[in-house]
Amino acid sequence: MATLDLHSINKSFGTAKVLHDISLAINDKEFVVFVGPSGCGKSTLLRIIAGLEEATSGQIVIGGQDVSDAHPVERGISMVFQSYALYPHLSVYENIAFPLRVQKLEKTDMDARVQRAAEILQLTDKLQLKPGQLSGGQRQRVAIGRSIVRNPKVFLFDEPLSNLDAALRGDMRVELGQLHRSLEATMVYVTHDQVEAMTMADRIVVLNAGRVEQFGTPMELYHHPQTKFVASFIGQPNMNLIPATVSDVDGTGLKVTLDGGHQMVIPVDTLGVQKGDKLEVGIRPENVTLGEDGISVDISVLERLGGVSIAYGKLAGQTRFCASLPGDVNVKEGAAVTLTMAPEDCHVFDASGQVLRRKSAPALVA
Amino acid sequence: MVNVVEAASFKTEAPRKRVLSEAVFGWLLIGPAMLFIAVIVAWPLAETVRLSFMEAGLGGEEYVGLANYEDLLESRKFHDTIVRTFYWMFLSVALKLILGLIGATLLNAAVPGRGLFRVLVMPPWVIPIAIGCIGWLWLYNGYFGILSGTMMSLGITDGPFEFLAYKQSAFYSAVVTDVWVGTPMVTLFFLAAMQGVPRDLYEAAYVDGASRWYRFRRITIPQIMPVIVSMSLLSAIFTFNSFEIIWILTEGGPRGATTTLIVDTYKTAISNFKFGEGSARAVVIVVLLGAFSLIYLFFLNKVNKYYGSGKK
Repeated sequence: MATLDLHSINKSFGTAKVLHDISLAINDKEFVVFVGPSGCGKSTLLRIIAGLEEATSGQIVIGGQDVSDAHPVERGISMVFQSYALYPHLSVYENIAFPLRVQKLEKTDMDARVQRAAEILQLTDKLQLKPGQLSGGQRQRVAIGRSIVRNPKVFLFDEPLSNLDAALRGDMRVELGQLHRSLEATMVYVTHDQVEAMTMADRIVVLNAGRVEQFGTPMELYHHPQTKFVASFIGQPNMNLIPATVSDVDGTGLKVTLDGGHQMVIPVDTLGVQKGDKLEVGIRPENVTLGEDGISVDISVLERLGGVSIAYGKLAGQTRFCASLPGDVNVKEGAAVTLTMAPEDCHVFDASGQVLRRKSAPALVA
Repeated sequence: MVNVVEAASFKTEAPRKRVLSEAVFGWLLIGPAMLFIAVIVAWPLAETVRLSFMEAGLGGEEYVGLANYEDLLESRKFHDTIVRTFYWMFLSVALKLILGLIGATLLNAAVPGRGLFRVLVMPPWVIPIAIGCIGWLWLYNGYFGILSGTMMSLGITDGPFEFLAYKQSAFYSAVVTDVWVGTPMVTLFFLAAMQGVPRDLYEAAYVDGASRWYRFRRITIPQIMPVIVSMSLLSAIFTFNSFEIIWILTEGGPRGATTTLIVDTYKTAISNFKFGEGSARAVVIVVLLGAFSLIYLFFLNKVNKYYGSGKK
């Protein structure tokens, strides 16, 4: 297995620049997820790593070796596609053995490798079937099997679970996590689903409009989003962003007046911030509670999910707000409630969307 | 039986609209097509079968039983015609399929000007066959044709070579023209099938290190195999029944060298006014093509099973 380093990768399609100066260092045996909205360039970046697209400029280094101009097979990568890309006319065995047949491997060696992959992926009794006779999850496993038999240095996954239903996706997430641990492989995984990213990744690369917004562990991204984009992309439901005005700046933090009139002092770095500046204060829905002192929200929709109830509403200044409250909370749709939020749970973003560093964030778990 | 007046008296609400049963509606829809087929296919076919048992000419008809068929089976000339027809068909279809596959592969490749080439492949199919064949007549002409002229200027022949005047060259010239007319359709069908092959399959194989030829052999061919088989059948039937090309180029000559079953039937029935013998030949064609189609359908089923995804 190997490290994967990207140095200043740029990619343009004609005049449209889709990737801007992307540099990443992915460790050996690390599971890294590229996440971002549609069109952010995450799949293009993966295809550049795979050798299916050529970078306009930049360098790709796998295991210390520059493979920027190498054929995919020389890069030591294997790729699992969103559509599975199984050969419909070939049996499961032949699909898994396809790369080995290309390599003209000995029959006994090929049998052994296919059998091993089939055992890992619980496909032993399906080897003679054709893809059309398999369920979505089984097809995905065959596609992974085709990757495993090649013993690649780096596994690449392009939204492999997006064609599966929600329940199966959950199961496959767990299976992929186990596979990563058992193979001890470097894996790069592309998804637009932040839940997949949070649950599976050792580290996450958040991409937006062809740029890396942040690269860090899931909890780092959750507690210390460096930009407003990351803050609102990571976490479910999304972080609330409330327009605010700076009413005072002192050593302890920023005194802000939120949309709706509520005032609070937030403990963040105040360097460069002046009284009267317009900011946005971010608070996660799960960090607010019903209370006496706080912001007033008119609840329009209440979704009771059992363990939690998600309340959607608006502040007095018409800013939309979402709160994750206890499952059996006594709140009615159409009523106004007061929600309390602790200043240390708040994030503050300047006009350019950059975060002001929090002084008292929770310690990160490993 | 329900008395309509009585039944209506039970209901006081607005009278129900008359609704045709699904079966009647279905028959009404396919009725015109069935009538059409009965008039222009079924009846002539039945009439052909009837005539094949007759000694029929301009002077009238006389029942002769199986005499026309017995004559055919004993005729060495007819045996030669059958062999020639199948040779004509297999050679022409094979060439159309090979050239169609090559053409479709090239047109499917990401080459500059691909759109233009896709248009340029159409004319042989689009222009009327008669016009195209007259063009080929000129090409094959020994004195004015470009082929003979080129061969002379290259020193391959001493003098003018009349392609359609000799048995072998006339046969192969007719094959070339038939291939010229039939290849565009095959090419376009293959191209459409190739464009339906998901790109991911090629990319997955490329990442696995498969060469261009390997990808063609192991992905493209199996993926388009059902279309190849279907086109083989269609093309075989068209070629077997190909009449205008041969008739315009050689009228079946020289000395029967290009006379296929369909030309022979025409000559017998229409040129020589032997309607009974001609009909017997036509019935033999129907039987042969029917048997041929059944074998093909059986084969197609096998191919679909083998190359299919296993979906039920």
